[in-house]
Amino acid sequence: MPVLSSFGYFTARYYGITNHEFLFDYEKSAKAIVKTSIDYQYDTGAGMSMLGALPLTLAFLNEYDGLAPGWVNGPIHDILGVKYARFPGRELAVDAPFQFIGEEYMKVTEYDDLIADPQRFIAEELLPRSLRNLRNPGSAKGMATLFAWGEEYRRYADREAKLSAELRSYGFPRFTSGISYAPLDFIGDFLRDIKNVLFDCYRVPDKVKQAAEALRDLIVEMVRISVKGKEPGSVQFIPLHLNEYFSPRQYSEFYWPTLKEVVEEMIKLGVTPELFYEGQHEAHLETILELPKGKTISRFEKTDLAKAKEIIGDHSCIIGGPPSSLFLGPVERIDPYVKGLFDNVKYGGGFMLSPAVSVPAAAKPENVKALMDAAIKYGSY
Amino acid sequence: MVKIVFVSSEDNIVDAIVNIDEPTALELADELIRQGVAPIEILERCRKGMNIVGEHFEVGTFFLSEMIMAAEIFNQVMDKIRPELMKTVTESKGKIVIGTVEGDVHDIGKNIVIALLEAEGYTVIDLGVDVPAERFVEAIKEHEPDIVGMSSLLTVALEAKKRTVDAITDAGLRDKVKIIIGGGRIDAHATEYIKPDAATDNAAQGVRLCMKLMGGELT
Repeated sequence: MPVLSSFGYFTARYYGITNHEFLFDYEKSAKAIVKTSIDYQYDTGAGMSMLGALPLTLAFLNEYDGLAPGWVNGPIHDILGVKYARFPGRELAVDAPFQFIGEEYMKVTEYDDLIADPQRFIAEELLPRSLRNLRNPGSAKGMATLFAWGEEYRRYADREAKLSAELRSYGFPRFTSGISYAPLDFIGDFLRDIKNVLFDCYRVPDKVKQAAEALRDLIVEMVRISVKGKEPGSVQFIPLHLNEYFSPRQYSEFYWPTLKEVVEEMIKLGVTPELFYEGQHEAHLETILELPKGKTISRFEKTDLAKAKEIIGDHSCIIGGPPSSLFLGPVERIDPYVKGLFDNVKYGGGFMLSPAVSVPAAAKPENVKALMDAAIKYGSY
Repeated sequence: MVKIVFVSSEDNIVDAIVNIDEPTALELADELIRQGVAPIEILERCRKGMNIVGEHFEVGTFFLSEMIMAAEIFNQVMDKIRPELMKTVTESKGKIVIGTVEGDVHDIGKNIVIALLEAEGYTVIDLGVDVPAERFVEAIKEHEPDIVGMSSLLTVALEAKKRTVDAITDAGLRDKVKIIIGGGRIDAHATEYIKPDAATDNAAQGVRLCMKLMGGELT
């Protein structure tokens, strides 16, 4: 039974650095990640919490040889002046986790502009509105910002390549090698804010659908570029956000069609999509059966894993595990939790254990260790 | 768009709310105001609609999307009748101070709960998001609420909730208020860790738990 690491800010606290250092200091965070990976012996290398910034990737699509990075770390936050995020040691206390601040960056009246040319809208409207230092992209400050961003990206990419190689040398591969997105989540997370996109589904339903379709094509193009030079079957992560908000009727009307098309295209391109069905996904489990069999990974947060196994166990590999709260409580609870879980999901294979979200910073180290011990005890076939 | 149609309650505005039909609900509210129907009666009828919406949410026939839209409709009707309503003295069922705890800025769950509580006749003081423990303590001293509600979505907020409950205890106020916590990551383990008087991951159930904390019976 593979056990995936999802150590989050626990990595920083365990190593004894602040969240600020974890997100801003490449050297220290690399050391923290290596130490945590080695000490706890989960099967994959620990990662680093990273803020998604998909608009940046989509804005430069086909205008840049490769993919512009779709994430923001501490230094890049400083360079770009990301309005939709607050970082520890900047807008927040040094030990706070970064916050994502949803805003209405696109007015409801602008759907037609987005639909007509989504890439232009993202590059010329969304970026200047959501990145303080790109307010005037053609200004000296705007150009210097882009230059500094490119430099920083190179510095971080080099660190990442080195870190991945080091982790691999200790026997910890990284699990994912890219990110993709549900088109409607792009609208909810970056353009309209979650609440507004839900209102839009009632008030301007056709516009919402057309916008999701326009963004679908852009996201598929991103995947197509991202697979160049990657090994076949490499895993791309898709965090889903609006899934649990919708009734099955709205899910299949607004959310699922374009997401499904993105996933199908990913599979055709040789990517293994790992969909993280955040929150409670029980009402929509059957839709996973519409995806090609044996080609996807389904990661769950609050969904009953026994039920998921029953419905999609033959069809998609499942990832799931203990809620954050279990890492905070008595250590004796871990063993029976894992035993009970495996009784329900181990049969037939196709299951990987992972913390449901990530290990909370305040987790007790003995609980983190106990999870791996229990997996070894109950997880062999 | 196909609409879920419910057995008529014989009150159009109730039906419009339960059908999540925003234009009709707002039109009917305007019509009732024009006819001179007392704001308290309009409130009562909207409250009935919100109750049904809450029940549907609790049993799983409605999802967050319906709840959020229903709360938006209710808030818009409230905005129309609030000035007149304020002139009528109505007895509050209780006072609740509510906020999203420090480190978390998610407010969708909190805002649904507020709409449902107001529909039930509670006075709600909304502290907003990312509220430090000390602000909860100050608000308890200032407003003397019956209940303190702490909301959140993020994992980090479990610690913040525990810190806030501890701060209320340290300030000697723990016996003066009931504490309820709510949010997506709340489960039995989290509840045991934070030690509130009530906990839930469901907004509609949260309102019923508030009623119970006020000494009423759980229906």
